[in-house]
Amino acid sequence: MDPFILSFAVVNGLLQGGIYGGIALGLSLIFGVLRVVNFAHGSFLMLSLYLSFWCWNLLGIDPYLSAIVTVPAMFALGYFVQSVIISPLIRRERALVVEPLSALLLTCGVFLVLDNVALMAFGPDVRSVQLSYYLPSLMLGPIPVNIPRLIAALAAILVAVGVSFWLRHSHAGRAIRATAQNRDAAAMSGIDVPKVYAVTFGLGCAILGLFGALISPFIPATPTIGLAFGIKSFIVVVLGGMGSIPGSIIGGLVIGVFEAVASQFVTATSAAIFSLGLFILVLLVRPAGIMGKA
Amino acid sequence: MYKPALKIAGLTSGYGDIRVLRGVDLELKPGTIVALIGANGAGKTTLLRTISGLVKADSGFSELYGESIHGLAPHRVVQAGFVQSPEGKQLFADMTILENLMVGAHSKRAYERRNETLEEVYELFPILAERRYQRASTLSGGQQQMVAVGRALMALPKVLALDEPSLGLAPIMVDRLFESIAKIRERNLSILIIEQNVFQVLEMADYGYVLENGQISLSGTGAELLGNSHLRATYLGL
Repeated sequence: MDPFILSFAVVNGLLQGGIYGGIALGLSLIFGVLRVVNFAHGSFLMLSLYLSFWCWNLLGIDPYLSAIVTVPAMFALGYFVQSVIISPLIRRERALVVEPLSALLLTCGVFLVLDNVALMAFGPDVRSVQLSYYLPSLMLGPIPVNIPRLIAALAAILVAVGVSFWLRHSHAGRAIRATAQNRDAAAMSGIDVPKVYAVTFGLGCAILGLFGALISPFIPATPTIGLAFGIKSFIVVVLGGMGSIPGSIIGGLVIGVFEAVASQFVTATSAAIFSLGLFILVLLVRPAGIMGKA
Repeated sequence: MYKPALKIAGLTSGYGDIRVLRGVDLELKPGTIVALIGANGAGKTTLLRTISGLVKADSGFSELYGESIHGLAPHRVVQAGFVQSPEGKQLFADMTILENLMVGAHSKRAYERRNETLEEVYELFPILAERRYQRASTLSGGQQQMVAVGRALMALPKVLALDEPSLGLAPIMVDRLFESIAKIRERNLSILIIEQNVFQVLEMADYGYVLENGQISLSGTGAELLGNSHLRATYLGL
């Protein structure tokens, strides 16, 4: 194997992996606190992409600037979905944790509704944003680095560090961690648990809002784009350790690099099969994921 | 006008179709320690969970200094001043002692006074100050119990409920814990305590209630209850 092509693949894999990790952050955060696997995760990303596209198409807002619209809008949507659709399910449960299957089925329903409403409203057309300026590739020695992808990958790391820091050191972050660890004890300490859940869900979706804006320059919006990203996020989160913020980034990088390198040897679609093989292999050795606690 | 610190009347609740509490009446005078005694499954913990709003009451009411706390969400009950240290401690295992205590001071009223209260908790349990940056899961059972009580105190309770504080503790730790509880009383708090150590708790308590099959079957001062033949036979094996 030519070392140049290999290092080119590794760099691209790192960028792609960082983006996977950033997109998966919200899924991991929501699972870590609510113990709900949000099957509709990718659909929220799809909505963010459309939002970013319409901001650019109708209002002429730069895709990067559209984050000031997509982030609060997705926060609001997440807050609403949690407090109106998912929260009655959690209230019904008597045990400490939500029955994973019922939550999964419910969010699966959310996914079907969102994707099909998007198909109805926007049609099957592929819509892509054009940046009004040209971003040249950054040269890392002989290796060209795509700037929009670099921005998204760096943002993923920044958001992960920021969210971890906020969870660790702020009053609200402490309340979220307390709720994640013991929901009853949190309630008995005066924490408004339903509100913490809604804010966490909103935050997870807000992160998707940000990434919707950041990847819109190179990922076109289609009504079905969500599922692929949703499943990828799920693999990344399970691989990295469910509920772990750094695990999400690390899981993303592992999958990204592995896929990029594998696709130098086989076609890209077969590479995805290999990444699933790697996924199974890692879980055989570390069932809780790379950063997860056993 | 006299207002009881905590007044509960006709409280019924349960899980699904199963009634656990079948009309509980109970009263705490301000500044007193009241013991709640009963066999496993009598409904003691359910009573605390119902007052706390974690289990929905079907009927009856509960009041704190004349203000209804009935039907409030759990965090509102804490804000109103009824705070419990739950059975089995239920600490936030991955957090430090300090963080556990600070979570207790979550509500606005408690958060504003958090530093003063923290000093008071450290004074009561000096070992917690020493180990404040240690993870809760690394502590001994007795120390974990101190964190649980301390966390409840951080919420500035008017009525403090302790659910089996001596559970799983070595006898010497039980003695120390009871000394601390006696000190807490001096802070002008009212304490409702559930205990398996019937003899010890009734010696300390001003008043006691016996819960059997979801109803109060017996009540009286600590000395009266200790002299009661039914109680002696059932709970003390005398």
